[in-house]
Amino acid sequence: MIRFENVTKVYDPNARPALDDVSLEIERGEFTFLVGASGSGKSTFLRLILKEDRATSGSVYVAGQNVANISSWRVPRLRRGIGVVFQDFRLLPQKNVFANVAFAMQVIGKSRSIIRETVPEVLKTVGLEGKEKRMPHELSGGEQQRVAIARAVVNRPGILLADEPTGNLDPITSMGIMGVLDKINQNGTTVVMATHDDDIVNEMRKRVVELRNGVVVRDEAKALYTSMIPVVGESRLLKDASDEELDRATGGQQ
Amino acid sequence: MRLAFILGEIGSGLRRNLSMVVSVILVTFVSLTFVGAAGMLQMQINQMKGYWYDKVQVAIFLCNESSTAAGCASGAVTDEQRDNLGKMLESPAVKQYISDFQFESQAEAFQHFKDQFSNSPIVDSVTQDQLPASFRINMKDPEKYQIISETFSSQPGVETVSDQRQVLERIFVWMNGASVVAMGIAVVMIVCAVLLITTTIRLSAFSRRRETGIMRLVGASKTVIQLPFILEGVIAAVVGALLASGTLWLVTLWLNGDLSRQFLNTPFISSAQVLVVAPVLIALGGGLAGIASLLTLRRYLKV
Repeated sequence: MIRFENVTKVYDPNARPALDDVSLEIERGEFTFLVGASGSGKSTFLRLILKEDRATSGSVYVAGQNVANISSWRVPRLRRGIGVVFQDFRLLPQKNVFANVAFAMQVIGKSRSIIRETVPEVLKTVGLEGKEKRMPHELSGGEQQRVAIARAVVNRPGILLADEPTGNLDPITSMGIMGVLDKINQNGTTVVMATHDDDIVNEMRKRVVELRNGVVVRDEAKALYTSMIPVVGESRLLKDASDEELDRATGGQQ
Repeated sequence: MRLAFILGEIGSGLRRNLSMVVSVILVTFVSLTFVGAAGMLQMQINQMKGYWYDKVQVAIFLCNESSTAAGCASGAVTDEQRDNLGKMLESPAVKQYISDFQFESQAEAFQHFKDQFSNSPIVDSVTQDQLPASFRINMKDPEKYQIISETFSSQPGVETVSDQRQVLERIFVWMNGASVVAMGIAVVMIVCAVLLITTTIRLSAFSRRRETGIMRLVGASKTVIQLPFILEGVIAAVVGALLASGTLWLVTLWLNGDLSRQFLNTPFISSAQVLVVAPVLIALGGGLAGIASLLTLRRYLKV
């Protein structure tokens, strides 16, 4: 479903690459954790799948298609096949739950009747039955993230990318969100989730891909989150970090 | 559905940015009014030229019954006097200075008068007798007007010799100057309008970056994302253009009302001619706004 072939991504030629010769394949229907410290290349990995950025070298295949060969006017079609969830939910504050989810269908031209039929179904899947009329500020963080997930999957994408979806949530709420993601995965959607949350990774026992400084250092099935163990010689002082690394650490969680 | 969605987006964009939208409307209104004024001034010049300038360089007006000039003491011009003047114009002494001439009878003069002042109430109060017959002379060299004037002004049956070109030229120079000034102001104002539209679209894109970000991620097409912004600018500019056209229309009403009663012998452009200017203004306003919005979005709204 997603294949990286010797992918290197360089943002700043003077700094080390964000991704360095990464080769990886994620099968259809798989659930994969992408772990690693901030600046290890997780977000870049997700951005390349969405064609938000272009790989400096190597090829990225999504659903059998090399994204480099997708012309700009067909990028929307690629993105319709991919749902995305973020740490900060990114709901539209002036729209209610139903409208937030419906928005994703409206903008790609789905008819009103299909929207009215599909949105409640999806809200049920994420466990938000009966909360259609609520406004985002009336919801808890976990509920807001469920709305965001509903919006990401309402167009039935084959792939769901989640960039630290539990980053703002407490452990119990996080487990609830994981339940939703797992359910979506069991319905056949390929899920790639970038995370720092060791409890979740250890609980779920799914495939874990660990990135460090842009390199895949571990790719294990049914694995644990073990990268919390410090590696001697790898840690650096903050003042030695490059500008770009600092940038990414402070604002780059897109 | 998608159309309804885009319209909804435009509505919310216009509401959110109301003060900026109003300023875009006003600036395009003022700038296009100046463009239109310059254009209509040119039309006015052409209208006046069309009749006077190209046809007539020097006119020898012949006496009619109501002439009061010294040369007309014996009353209206006789056929004999007229033929005599015609022969003089054919004579080598005069002919070397003129390229050709026509005789305009009172009936023809009346017809021309009616055509030219069809917008003016004066037509109803003028009769054929009141208009002089004339020889209309095209000079080889307009500067030699003095020779014609000296030769003919003392001839019997001649009321007056006039070089209308000089009179008209002064008016046209003034009017041309005014239209250049109007055009100059228009250009400055259009630059302002374009910059303002650019800023407005930028603000609008910024204030809706959440929506557009989500639209991008769920795979909305470039058109669906950008069209509301572009139309927002275009709608504001077109409203400005409509206001400008309305203002120009009011001006022509005034020209053909009050002013044509004060300047009875000036043919003014009609309100119908606003219909020629208005589409140009609307296209200009809409087009500029569209292009400005598109270029702005290319920079500030990643798709």
